[in-house]
Amino acid sequence: MFSKSHLLRRKILDKAMWALATFSLVCIVAPLAWLVWGVVGRALPHWNWSLLTTKPGGANGGGLSTLIVGTLVITAGVAVVAGIIGIGSGLYLSELCPEGKGKILRTASEVLSGVPAIVLGFLGYTVLVVEFKWGFSLGAALVVLSIMVVPYIAKATEVAILQVPTAFREAAEGLGMTRWQTLRRAVLKPAAPGIVTGLIIALAIAMGETAPLLYTAGASNNFPTSHITHSPVGFLTYAVWTDYNQPLAGSAELSATAAVLLLVIVLMLILLSRLVIRVSKKYSINNSHGGR
Amino acid sequence: MTQSLASDITTGPNQGDFDYSQKRIDDASSQLQVPLKTIDLSVGFSHSTILNEISLSFPKGTITALVGPTGCGKSTFLRTLNRMNDHVRGFWHKGSVVLDDVNIYDKSVDPLVLRRNVGMVFQRPNPFPMSIKDNVVSGVKAHKLAKRKDLLAIAESQLKEVGLYDAIADRMDDSPFRLSGGQQQLLCLARALAVGPEVLLLDEPTASLDPVSTSSVESLISALVPKLTIVIVTHNLAQARRIAQHAAFFFNGELVEHGLAAQVLEDPEHETTAQFVTGRMG
Repeated sequence: MFSKSHLLRRKILDKAMWALATFSLVCIVAPLAWLVWGVVGRALPHWNWSLLTTKPGGANGGGLSTLIVGTLVITAGVAVVAGIIGIGSGLYLSELCPEGKGKILRTASEVLSGVPAIVLGFLGYTVLVVEFKWGFSLGAALVVLSIMVVPYIAKATEVAILQVPTAFREAAEGLGMTRWQTLRRAVLKPAAPGIVTGLIIALAIAMGETAPLLYTAGASNNFPTSHITHSPVGFLTYAVWTDYNQPLAGSAELSATAAVLLLVIVLMLILLSRLVIRVSKKYSINNSHGGR
Repeated sequence: MTQSLASDITTGPNQGDFDYSQKRIDDASSQLQVPLKTIDLSVGFSHSTILNEISLSFPKGTITALVGPTGCGKSTFLRTLNRMNDHVRGFWHKGSVVLDDVNIYDKSVDPLVLRRNVGMVFQRPNPFPMSIKDNVVSGVKAHKLAKRKDLLAIAESQLKEVGLYDAIADRMDDSPFRLSGGQQQLLCLARALAVGPEVLLLDEPTASLDPVSTSSVESLISALVPKLTIVIVTHNLAQARRIAQHAAFFFNGELVEHGLAAQVLEDPEHETTAQFVTGRMG
């Protein structure tokens, strides 16, 4: 039915596509492995548990305790502020927004996500730190980082909700559920894995930022205070950026340790999201083994 | 009961001290002859007209089958009976749909309460992504028809009513997507019945099921009358003959013929109907 040359072409094409896919995978995995090897290799020989409990400073550079707490506080703040606004925006775009207005909002969101982080940081500095007189502070950092990641969360939420089968909505409407009941009982549950994934990616992006935080959070060797304004906050990427070039003994290793800690926190966030997704998929349409 | 149901769909149920079991007894004792009818109902979307001046009554406690070729407007008609088309872009209608002497398209009618009284089951089983038990009582919870402590008993009783309980008694907390297609459709029927509808609309409920599951669903549908008034859209003429007492034949958005199922499906008056039911068109 098929000529030999036709069959040979199909086999070659099949092999070529496999090779291309494998090459793409290597292109992703290799830099990650190199990155992990590089920073862990530098940090591990000098690892000391006291780094986690000691404040930065001193002749040997000190530890990273205040910076770890600062990073966690900033990340938690972004999760709350950007999470609420981003998920709310995604809900509005997918469920409530008229089509014309939706196009304008989506375009605005895409433009916002394309603005370089350093530009947002500079804007945050001139407006919040200087003009509003907030000073370097947690508040300024949260506002700028949230503005930066809200488009990611909104887009992930919108896409996740739009992927929920229409059948769920019809079933809810057929039972006489209100729009909110339909959303809560029939739409948000199956959309949760997509929303959580978007939120975690956004938090990982926020956690890894340096430039906007230098402009807004400032720098500090102390633990964050309860003040939202006029109180600088230390963060891990500051140590990664600053300590690497310090002439002090052990500074470069401290920088590598801060980088490892950032990787560990991102990994923990990913594991947390996997757990949430696993729980929310218990009754998923794609999980026919769910239940007991 | 006429008065109370009419008041129900316009003002909503008394949610404070609702007696679930009493509501079902009251419904069963209702003696209306024609609870649901359409009068000169025309329906369309934007510039196109899908249905043209349909006047059709659905006798109480009977099954009416809507038959006709694909695209003739049967499903659109069915969805108009509980205002499921309201959110479809460009939807318009003329004429009226009367449920217990109230035009359901009146501004005073709450479509959410209406849909509790006129339930619907769809072509493909569509359980929610929640446990089997929560699926059955999802409508009951949404309308606050029972107290939390009574929900499990209600779920069990509804699953018994549809004949599914024995098969899943120890799996009430499992995912509904572990059930077979037929069991999922029975679950959807249990969910629709749990809110105590007066009328049940079925949009090709066995189209995606195998013959054994189809037989289970048909047996259940037949057992629901005369307690409920049922309107079923079906492409399966044999099914319409098996379960329906009344039938209506639609063609190109027109109601060609309606009456007793035996007459419409076996000895129709119109040539177009005859062509359809004898397989010369379809």
